[in-house]
Amino acid sequence: MKMPKLLGTCAIALSLMAMPALAKTPDDQLIVGISMTNLLSLDPAGATGNDVVEINANLYDGLVELDPVDTSKILPGLAESWTIAPDGKSISFKIRSGVKFHTGNPLTAEDAAWSLHRVLKLNLALASPWKSYGFTAQNVEQNIRATDPTTLVITLPEPTDPRMVIYTLGTSVSGNVLDRKKVMEHEKDGDLGRVWLTTNAAGSGPFVLNEWRAKDVLMMTRFDGYWRGQAKMRRVIMRNMTESQTLRLMIERGDIDIATGMSVPDIEAMKKNPNAVVQAVKRGNIYYVAMSVKDSKFADKRVRQAIRSLIDYDGINTTVMPNYGILHQRPVQMGLPATLPNPGYKLDVAGAKKLLAEAGQPNGFKTTIRVLSDPPFINIATNLQSTLAQAGIQAEVLPGTGNQVYGAMRDRNFEIIVGRGGGGAEPHPHSSLRALVYNPDNRDEAKLTNFQGWRTSFISPEINALIEKAEVEKDAKKQIEMYQEIQKLYDSQVGAIIPVSQMVDTVVMGKDIRGYVGHPAATTRLREVTKQR
Amino acid sequence: MSALSLSLSGGGMRHVAGWSHRLGTVAVTLLGLLTLTFFIGRVMPLDPVLSIVGSDADQSTYQQVYLQLGLDRPLYVQFGYYLRDLLHGDLGMALLTGNPVTTDIARVFPATIELATVAIILGTFAGVPLGVFAATHRGRLGDQIVRVLSLFGYSVPIFWFGMMGLIIFYAWLGWAGGAGRVDLAYDGLVQSRSGILLIDAAMAGEWDVFRSVIKHITLPACILGLHSMAYISRMTRSFMLAQLSQEYIITARVKGLSERQVIWGHAFRNILVQLLTIVALAYGGLLEGAVLIETVFAWPGFGSYLTSSLMLGDMNAVMGCVLLVGLIFVTLNLLADALYQVFDPRTR
Repeated sequence: MKMPKLLGTCAIALSLMAMPALAKTPDDQLIVGISMTNLLSLDPAGATGNDVVEINANLYDGLVELDPVDTSKILPGLAESWTIAPDGKSISFKIRSGVKFHTGNPLTAEDAAWSLHRVLKLNLALASPWKSYGFTAQNVEQNIRATDPTTLVITLPEPTDPRMVIYTLGTSVSGNVLDRKKVMEHEKDGDLGRVWLTTNAAGSGPFVLNEWRAKDVLMMTRFDGYWRGQAKMRRVIMRNMTESQTLRLMIERGDIDIATGMSVPDIEAMKKNPNAVVQAVKRGNIYYVAMSVKDSKFADKRVRQAIRSLIDYDGINTTVMPNYGILHQRPVQMGLPATLPNPGYKLDVAGAKKLLAEAGQPNGFKTTIRVLSDPPFINIATNLQSTLAQAGIQAEVLPGTGNQVYGAMRDRNFEIIVGRGGGGAEPHPHSSLRALVYNPDNRDEAKLTNFQGWRTSFISPEINALIEKAEVEKDAKKQIEMYQEIQKLYDSQVGAIIPVSQMVDTVVMGKDIRGYVGHPAATTRLREVTKQR
Repeated sequence: MSALSLSLSGGGMRHVAGWSHRLGTVAVTLLGLLTLTFFIGRVMPLDPVLSIVGSDADQSTYQQVYLQLGLDRPLYVQFGYYLRDLLHGDLGMALLTGNPVTTDIARVFPATIELATVAIILGTFAGVPLGVFAATHRGRLGDQIVRVLSLFGYSVPIFWFGMMGLIIFYAWLGWAGGAGRVDLAYDGLVQSRSGILLIDAAMAGEWDVFRSVIKHITLPACILGLHSMAYISRMTRSFMLAQLSQEYIITARVKGLSERQVIWGHAFRNILVQLLTIVALAYGGLLEGAVLIETVFAWPGFGSYLTSSLMLGDMNAVMGCVLLVGLIFVTLNLLADALYQVFDPRTR
């Protein structure tokens, strides 16, 4: 498969210079080429992956939205306004009147409450952040209530920064409001419409789902009764295209308007194409090198420090990561007020050898690197393999699928992993720290598999306590200081997850596309997208 | 008279016994195939639960889905339930799509049938005459050209053909449609009856859609057809050469029959049975999944469905697909056997 791909790329590179755009998509339809490989369910309670987040952001509405340019800015959605109680223990939302679902049913605070109850009761993938705030299937009805048709009150069961909850409502599709009546018409065996919502939608968003044929095509038509006013495009069609070169040919020919998931060589080529626009969208996820502290070698802080010195940050970020990520060395996503500047780690083989000698490993050791077989993961891993070898560490690269790599990580059955993670959808340091650093119970049987900190077995009671304290700190300045202190501590204690780069997603579109603003949380709204011809 | 009846009855009995034996073999083959696939699927390091819940799900969510999928039961019990459901025509639900596997296969398989059928027709109609031509011009320029062409078609990666085809015929010349089965503007315009768009569009009288389908299918079908043509022409040449050296061919020529009669009336007729087998196998191979071509052309067919399901550890879908592939090959073999009996009296 690799050789033919290489041949194909060379052939394109040699022969596709100055290809004219010969066809055009219809003026009022947006044609998008995406990979639907990981598009498994449209259910807002169980949907995982960025593609489904973008689709649902256009089929449903949430209570609030985050500004795609400045994600710390919370914009009204179905909630006209919201108030955080002075004690920070509850949030009250004023729901907009007169909003209708695609069915014509009126949207009320009851629907909003029911939608969140459903997430907790079904306990699917997207229940996770809500459970971390202390909500359970048992307490959710008591804590999330519609006090009247236009008022929704969320009471926080545990001390939490209420901004985090609002950010989750703005970024996670679990905050989408569902048409309760419509969903319950399709309930089977008490599944709260789970099976039906896998391939159907019941929202109030700017587009109505016409058809989704898995791994083929998804079609949406604009909703004429949309409360914000009609979307500019009459129809949005997303076609499954997994082959980057096909995407490139189709966008060059003008047969699709927007392409996602293109390979770096094709993106680089498109940057030179005057008929295309390339947009980089920064995500909150972080590419990292993770070690298992359960492994006796990496339990030694000096060995972890040596590994940290054996990563060629500059080399990786200049040769492997363009269009995939930007150099970043902190466990908190970049761009937040609390994020410290990079500590400036560099490849330092001599320093690493010294540390290994001090740790009783003067001749290095053998280890394994588990990694996804796709770029840029595999490229980072091979780069790491070569720099580890310079200090005598013989690392065997074990490529696999995401399922295999992260499955092993969840089982705490690995030595080194090159991976990506860190939450980061919510523009709040807690989002990244909860995912990457926090580990409140290091026992195997605790099975805190959603915490990557637990997966590495790295535990620092001091850092855990600070994370918990910072989350509920009401003084914004003090909170920032605490988060900065956590980053310094993580640095000095040499945490088991070493950030290398912050994720960037690249979208390629025709030059006539206007109004497409990729959202860092993947909730890219297409209602304002137009074509200027 | 009574002796004749006895003889007929004996022949009929043998016939019935032969077919019973064949069907028994088919059943055992399919059961073996399912058993092997099931157990290999379960020991593969792929976790279907993680595919559903995502790698960041917490343990309670993971455990809930694990139980829902029945993965806590012993393997033999899971297999027993699978076979029980299978006997009721239920292949289970696909994780990939949330649909019953039968519904998914009914959707993706016609797309592959359509592509594979057009490809095999092109491959056979080009491959057989070329093979005969090469055999009858053995060692001459025509033979060399056909052999090089066959070697080229067979050895160059089909993926490369796909990309080059798209560049030349789609991007440069604009003759071919791009990715997909039909222009997106026409997608969904025709009601799906057979699932084969050419037929559905013709039945609906939607000739614009029909033309668009032709434009989209021609290039991938030609590329797949070229691959099949290479195989069929090589085999035809080889079969023909074997026949042309037989004594009955010399006898036919000595009798003064025309070259056309010798080649097509005698030699070719005798290779028909073998040809049927290889065409059937080539067709089976295409139906099984032209994964690379389906990927390049974003063709929503069986091959890409099977591959994606496998990568996600979606074993219900994989088992359903394997069962279908097994059935295809078994059916094609049975068909070839039946046709043997039509064309070759010795096998009756």
